[in-house]
Formats: sequence, structure tokens, C-alpha cells
Amino acid sequence: MKLKALKGVFPIIFITVIVFASVGLITWTDSVTADKIEYQKEQEIKSMLREMFPSMSQYTFEDDIYTIYTDGVEVGYAFLAVGKGYGGDIDILVGLEDETTIKAVTIISQSETPGLGSRIAESSFAAEFTGVNIDDVSLKQDGGQVDAITGATISSRAVIEAVRTTAMEKVKSLKERK
Amino acid sequence: MGKFWKEFAKGIVISNPLFVLALGFCPALAVSTSVDNAIGMSAGVLFVLLGSNLLVSAIRKAVPNIVRIPVFIVIIATFVTVVNLVFHAYVPALYESLGIYLPLIVVNCIILGRAEAFASKNPITSSIADALGVSIGFFLALLIISFLRETLGTGSLSVFGAKLFTLPVLGKDPMILFILPPGAFLIMALLLALFRKIGVMKCE
Repeated sequence: MKLKALKGVFPIIFITVIVFASVGLITWTDSVTADKIEYQKEQEIKSMLREMFPSMSQYTFEDDIYTIYTDGVEVGYAFLAVGKGYGGDIDILVGLEDETTIKAVTIISQSETPGLGSRIAESSFAAEFTGVNIDDVSLKQDGGQVDAITGATISSRAVIEAVRTTAMEKVKSLKERK
Repeated sequence: MGKFWKEFAKGIVISNPLFVLALGFCPALAVSTSVDNAIGMSAGVLFVLLGSNLLVSAIRKAVPNIVRIPVFIVIIATFVTVVNLVFHAYVPALYESLGIYLPLIVVNCIILGRAEAFASKNPITSSIADALGVSIGFFLALLIISFLRETLGTGSLSVFGAKLFTLPVLGKDPMILFILPPGAFLIMALLLALFRKIGVMKCE
């Protein structure tokens, strides 16, 4: 009787042991690779910032805002914005020249419809933002300064809304900092 | 030793996972857009298959029959997660381009198929041979598909940043269709038909 009960429990014990061993192995791998992955992500951000601010010599990261310096002088800010697109989240890197003007916009990742919404990632759309005042970041049909991509109003608007609202938020916290 | 080579060789041609067993089509069709991807994917599959076959074979006598599939899946998922982390840490470019298909090795039928059909019934050395053979078979199949897709679809071939050659006419006007999903199906179908016709791969 006792042996039979043990036989019934054995599969449960077995799979529990396997799961614990698996968790152990993954935890170990994670601890070995975590620093490296963190470093890779940092390099990626750094190269994107450098593309946006070619003169960058160093940057600091505080309150989710990157402050860019050239030889110790502040030359701009950058931050991440997330837009709700047609096919999911759109990750955007926004660069500010000063507290009112957009310097550049880069789409980091998106999953919009290929050929239509995905064109938000093209440089011609990003160029629409350069030099625009934060308050004017909205579609031309809504009284702003940005042209939507034909056939991709939802995706265009998602980017624009994300850039404007996040930019206003960040500028506010920049002003509070001073 | 003869048995080792027999198990090793069978995975490459007579029971090639893609062209004969028709397993693992999903990742094969999705990541065969470039030779780089094919190499990266195959490296991932090799590691996972080797690890899972080895472990499944080692514990095959202890595993209670009713929980064997969950046990295999946990083992496979563990190795896939390890591969995922390692790729992310050391080859970020490849990690980016393989995207979701790297973690999806976990549902690649080749891996569970070999664990269930082979490793759970055979000793460790045969299982290692089987894993190596099947992975190389998968790699060669993927290499042929991705070679054709990359050369036809982009008009040139480059492996890990080194440009090998550019085709005369296609270099200027590539047949982009072959990089897109329909091209994957076309190439795959033509290759399957070709191999059946010349009788290299026989379907039992």
C-alpha cells in the first residue's frame, strides 16, 4: 500500500526536480550574461545618440532623460517614447535641441503594416520633425506642422502623439530640475 | 563506432529533417532570408538538440512514462532560454535578426521529435550522433534554401559582413520576391520536387 502511494507521487517529484534543475541552470546563465546584455543595450543606445548628436562626447542618464554633452557643454536631450500604433507598440527615440525644439526622431522598433504604416521608419518621415516646436508636433490637418504618410494616418498619428505628449512631460521635468 | 557513424549519417540525407521528415518548416521558412541567419539558427538548433538529446537519453530509464512529454519540454525550454541569453549577450546583431524565431526553437518539432522518437529509447552515444547528424542535416538544408533566397532576392551574397560576390544582372535588379515569404515557399517546393525527382531523398 505504502509502495503504491509512493509510485503515484514519483512522477510529481521527478518533474519538480527537473523544473528546479532547469531554474538553477537558467539563473546561472542569466547571472553570467546579464552584465554583457546590459552593456550591449547601452552600446546600442549610445550609437543611436551619437547618430542624433554627432558631436556628443559624453552623456548622462537621469529621470529617463539622456542629457548630451559636447566637451562638457550641454547640447541637447534625448528620451524614449512609446506610441500605440496599428500593429502594437512603436518605440521612438526623440532628441531635443533645447527645451522647445525637436532635433531628430528615430524609430527604434515598430510592427506596423509593411509597406504602409512601416514607412514611419523611413528617414523622410523622421525628417518632418526636425526643427519643429514641441507645441506644433501634430498633423497638418490638425493645425500642426507634420505631414502624415499617405494611407498610414493611424501610424503617423501614433508617432506624433507619442512624441508630443512625452516631449511635454520631459520638458516639464527638465524645467523642474533647474 | 560503426553505429555512431550510421546514426550520424542518417540525419544528413536519408532522414533529413526538412526535406524528408518535413519537420521544423516554420523556422526554416522564416529565417532563411540570409545565409547569416541560416548559420545562426542552425547553431542554436545544434546546441539545443545536443543538450536535450544528451539529457533525455541520460535520464531515459528514470523518467516516469506519464510525465515524459512535460519533462522533455522543460529540458528543451531550458536549453532554448540559455541559447537566447547567450546569443543576446555575445552576438546581438544575430539575436536581432533571428528575432522571435530564436525563442521559438522550443516549439521546433525537430527537437521534441528527436527526444521522443530517438533519445528516449537509445543510449547516450547514439543520441549524440543522432543530434549531430540531424543538426547538420538541418543546417545543410537551411543553407541551400537561404543561399538561393539571398542570391536571387538581393542579387549578391555576403557572409558575416564579407561580401562574396554580386550577380551581374540581379545585382542591379534583384528578384525581391525571393526574400519575401512567398519566395520561401517557392524555393522550398522546388527543392523538395527536385530532390524527389533525382531520388536523393526517398519518402518511406
